[in-house]
This record gives sequence, C-alpha cells and structure tokens, in this order.
Amino acid sequence: MEADPTLLSLGAGLPHPSTFPFAQIGAHVAPAGASVANTAPADMLNVSVTTSSGAIEGLGKFLQYGNGRGVPSYAAFTREHTHRVHDPKYVDWDTVVSLGNTDAFVKALMLFYTSGDTLLVDEWTYPAIIGTVVPMNIQLAPVRMDAEGMVPEALDHVCTNWTGERKLRMVYTIPTAQNPTGATMSIARKRAIYAVAQKHNLVIIEDDPYYYLQFEPYTADSEHRYTNLPGITSLVPSLLSLDTDGRVIRLDSFSKVLAPGLRCGWVTAPKYITDKIQFHNETSIQQPAGVSQAIVASLMNEQWGHSGWERHLVQIQRDYAMRRDLFVDLCLKHLNGLV
Amino acid sequence: MSFTTSTALASKLPQAKDLSHLFVPTFRIHQKSPFKAVMGTPTLDMINMAGGVPHPSTFPLEQVQATVRAPSHAAPGRTGTLSLERTQANGSTESLNELLQYNDGRGMASYCRFLRQFTEQAHAPPYADWDVVASCGNTDSIAKAVSLFCQQGDHIIVEQYSFPGALSNLVFAKVKPVPVAMDIEGVDPVALDSLCSSWTGATLLRAIYVIPTGQNPTGATMSLARRKALYAVAQKHDLVIIEDDPYYFLQLGPMPETQDTTATDMNKLSLVPSLLSLDTDGRVIRLDSFSKILAPNLRCGWITAPAYIQDRMQILNESTILQPSGLTQGVISRLLNDTWGIEGWIEHLNAL
Repeated sequence: MEADPTLLSLGAGLPHPSTFPFAQIGAHVAPAGASVANTAPADMLNVSVTTSSGAIEGLGKFLQYGNGRGVPSYAAFTREHTHRVHDPKYVDWDTVVSLGNTDAFVKALMLFYTSGDTLLVDEWTYPAIIGTVVPMNIQLAPVRMDAEGMVPEALDHVCTNWTGERKLRMVYTIPTAQNPTGATMSIARKRAIYAVAQKHNLVIIEDDPYYYLQFEPYTADSEHRYTNLPGITSLVPSLLSLDTDGRVIRLDSFSKVLAPGLRCGWVTAPKYITDKIQFHNETSIQQPAGVSQAIVASLMNEQWGHSGWERHLVQIQRDYAMRRDLFVDLCLKHLNGLV
Repeated sequence: MSFTTSTALASKLPQAKDLSHLFVPTFRIHQKSPFKAVMGTPTLDMINMAGGVPHPSTFPLEQVQATVRAPSHAAPGRTGTLSLERTQANGSTESLNELLQYNDGRGMASYCRFLRQFTEQAHAPPYADWDVVASCGNTDSIAKAVSLFCQQGDHIIVEQYSFPGALSNLVFAKVKPVPVAMDIEGVDPVALDSLCSSWTGATLLRAIYVIPTGQNPTGATMSLARRKALYAVAQKHDLVIIEDDPYYFLQLGPMPETQDTTATDMNKLSLVPSLLSLDTDGRVIRLDSFSKILAPNLRCGWITAPAYIQDRMQILNESTILQPSGLTQGVISRLLNDTWGIEGWIEHLNAL
C-alpha cells in the first residue's frame, strides 16, 4: 500500500468521508483565563474545525477511524503539556489517549493484574474504583493514611509482611486532593512513597485529576488571599516528575479542568506500556470521541496555545481556591465549636 | 429506570425471560451502580461533594455548533446549523452544561430517547421490558456483552470466520472461541444445533456472537428464514445471542428499476428483519453503532437488551468509560431529534 499510493485499501472498512454529516464543528470559547460568565459575546473566541486541514487536521480525520493513539494534534498537545509541566526524567516515556481516568485506571491495572491479585490502596480510597475491581476479582490491601495521604512506613510494612499467594505489584494513589480525604502529598512524602515503591518493586498508578487544584494555606484574613497560589510553576511536583525508574503510570484528565462530558484524558508511562494501552484502546474504545478531540485540539493548538492553557489552569485554581475559602469561612462561622 | 414502550401493543407483550442464570457469578448478584454509590440521591438542597463534580461555571465553552449537510441529495431540506446553548434546553436536547457534566452510565436522556423511538420503528422488539444504553462503539460493546456471560476459561460460540476485533477481545478476556460452520448465508443452524448437542466442554456454552448482516469478513447476510432458524436453535440450547449489526442499514438489495430516493417509511428500506425483531424471549443483545452510518470517530452507538441486562451494562460503563462523550451524544441528539428528525434520519439511511 505504501509502495503504490494509487491503491485504496478496503480492508479496514472505512466509510467514505463524504457520508459524514458535518461540514464544520465549532464552539464559542472564553479567552484563556476568563470565564464565560465574565466574557462579552463579542470577545468570545471562535473554535472551528472544517473539512480542510491547517494547523490541525480536518474533520475527515477527526471523524474517521484512526488508531488507539488518538488524532495527532490532540495527542501531541497532551504530550507537550506533560513535557512542560512534569519533564519526565527518563528518555523513553510517552503518552496515550484515554476516555478519562476511570478508563485509564482499568487499562493500567489490567497490564499487570488479573483475577486473584491484590492492589495496594489508601485506606480510604476513591469509591468508584471499588466498583471497578470487584467484577475483576481483584482484592484491595488498604494502607494507613495521615493528613498528607498514604504513610510510607505503613506501605513498607504492608509489603514487607505480605503473606498472600501472589506478590503485591501495584499501588494506586491520588496524590493531590485525594478522594475522599482531600489530602495532598508534599514533595517529601512523594519521595518517600517512591522510595518504598522502589524497594518493593511496585508500579505506581498516579491518578491525578486535581493536580492543578493546589492552594495556598487557608487564612481567615479575607483581605490577603490569592497572593501565594502556586500557579503552574510552584505546584508540588508529581510522582511522574520524580520517576527515574519508569515505574509511574500517570493518569491525567480534562474532566475537572475543562469538562467531564468531553471524556478526554491521557496516560503517561514508559513507551512499552503506552504501546500496550494503545492496543487495548484498539480492542475497546478506539480513542476519545472525535468531536471532543476536534474542539480540544482546535482550542489548544489554534486559540489558547500552551501558555493560554496554563493561564486557564491558573484561573481554575483560583476559582476553586475561592470556593475552598468560602467553604471554610462558612464552616468556621456555623460549625465552630460543634465539630 | 427501565423504559417501557408507550404503545398499546407493548402492554400486551410478554416480559423478557429471566436469563440471569447465564450471567457470570459476579453479575448474578445485582450490584449497585458505582456512579449512584458515589453521587447518591439528592435530598433536600444538599450538595453532594463525593463525586468531585466540577462547577459548570468553570467550563470555558459557551456554545457548540455544527454545520450539517442535508440527509440526502434527493431531499435537500433539513440542512443548516445546529447549536447547543449553555444553560437552556436545546430543543429535545439537554443544555450544554448538562452535556459537559458527569452523567451516569446509561447515556444522555435525549440520545437514548431518540434511539428507543428509532429501535421501536426499526425492530419493534416483541417483548415489553427492553431498553437502550449508550455505547462508545461496537468493539467496546462486544467486550462488555461477552464479559456478562463469559469469564476466563469459558467458551463462546462464534462464526467460523469472525470479526478480528472481536477475536482479539476474546484472547484478551481468555474466553475461547468455538467456531460453527458457515455457508453463503452465514451461520448454519444445523451445525450450531449439532455443536451444542454434542458439547462436552468443561463449561457450558451460554452465548453466541454473530454478525448477521454484511458479515465481517465474509460479507454474508442471513435471510429471514435463516435468522428464524438460528433463533430457534438458540432457544433450544438456551443461548444468549450477541447480535453485532453495524452494517444493518447498509443492506444492498438487488438493483431496483427505479430508485425510490424519497423513502421516509422504514418499510421502503427493504431490510431483512433483525434477530432483535424476532426476540420473543429477550435473549438477544443487539449492538448498534453510528460508525458506518454517521461517522466512525463519533465513538457513539447503542445497545438494546432486556432492562435487567442493561442495569449490568450500566455498571460496566460506570466502571470504565462512564459513558460516551456527553457532548457528542448532544450533537447527535440535536442532529437526529431536531435538524433531521426521524424522517430525515431514515432518508439519510436510504441514501447511504
């Protein structure tokens, strides 16, 4: 096929793009860092994807069968963003698309685990994963937490004293704004967890949808807030950014920072792992919805760019910091002395 | 919540047979929806923080729109631009805020409503308590449907030549395919009967996976007589039928003398009735996809099955993808409910 470009392969059963119903898909989007509520209609940005290609692919590509890596302009943006923020410390890392972190979690888990295995988790962990592992006949081994999250000595203790038939090989953690406890690990804590994972040769699933929602400490002084938010440059570094071995599978999602209904995310891991997730995608979901990828790819590549995306993330961080502060203010006002 | 058709006929239809004895052990016990377990049921004016649901004010999209072509050259109307506005309902379709938010594993209400209406028109399932669940395409649906009835080490009956994507899934799931002979029309019911009657494998045969129309790879399409015969054998041996039918609406009959290009009645599409339309027991799990009939990378389709099976399918969705992209479902719903309508949709299928 490559030798003779005039040959058309019918093997894949690709529908002809002339049968696709859309000539154009687009959206009005607020400028990076602004909210829709605070943006006049005339200032809205126009995101538009047509059948022609330019900076990004055309609709003929976004709406057609592809592969489990996703449409290249979408995938490339997520990869470059990961590079800018986390700068992985080994050479052969890569990213692969997902439909969000639940989908990504299942795929990461299934690389290493089968029926009868046991997954190390925080003693209070994200409830939805319990519903995921039960049908797979995978057990959960809880590890004690404190205010910062999983306790490294407790992880070491569980692993050292494990007497189960099958070795413990994976630990699942939500290091930022942990669900349900809200705990965020410091860099020291992450280094300690990573060291224990190295000692026991564990793969770490870093489920980090709230990564950018790191805040300055709460102060009751409402006049002096939002001067010390971490932004992008002062976030607690991720486990991925500490990962010299290539033992972290990091799950990123657009759900909390763009919108959940796009069902778009990505996984970062060593390439031999992302290749396998690509193949698993191809025998399941294929890739994220083309309409979602088109809007995200156009928005990121043609309107906001990486600096705009980062500006948006900083604004989201500030939005949620304000909500956090209101919440704590009200707790102090109405629950003081009761709890 | 299960859907029951509103027609008078539906009230006279039987309920689906209870085939839960064919489920793998995990699914014989009815589990709670993981989404509901986290999100709970709203009471009073309380806000549930457990789901980590983002505030819609943070969604930067103010409006989504698409330019739509006409359903067919012969019917140039029903073109134009569809739009999804942020906070208001969009015709039959939810607001953009709802489409962009977390939703449960069933699918968006407007999307499922259209597909129920269309499935009723196209197949008129002959039992009362069927329902539709959104999927992200048939490859994923195959994996999910198989996982309800087959676990590692089990066997599933497949056509002698079958869809490579399905076979890859079986390898992955460690479920062994048992091939049954085909002829020019597809699965040979006599061969199937013989295979089931003489089966001595360690685990029971509980399901058969077929592609009855435009079979991949042979291209075979089963006649109505063949489908009836297949269904009878499935009844005899108490098999679930996974009907993978992405090419159903692309049936090419013999070339007519004049092309009726303005057909708006399903009957004029001259389609061989589906296995679902014969399914008096409720043993068919039908997999439909927009991939070949709208666009493949919409990653949207739907599954039709008895409501109690769909409850499990919802759990499988919520444990993996949650649901197909709400935004995409909204765009499709707006297109099919409002811009094209069901008449335009049928014109489009006819033109294809």
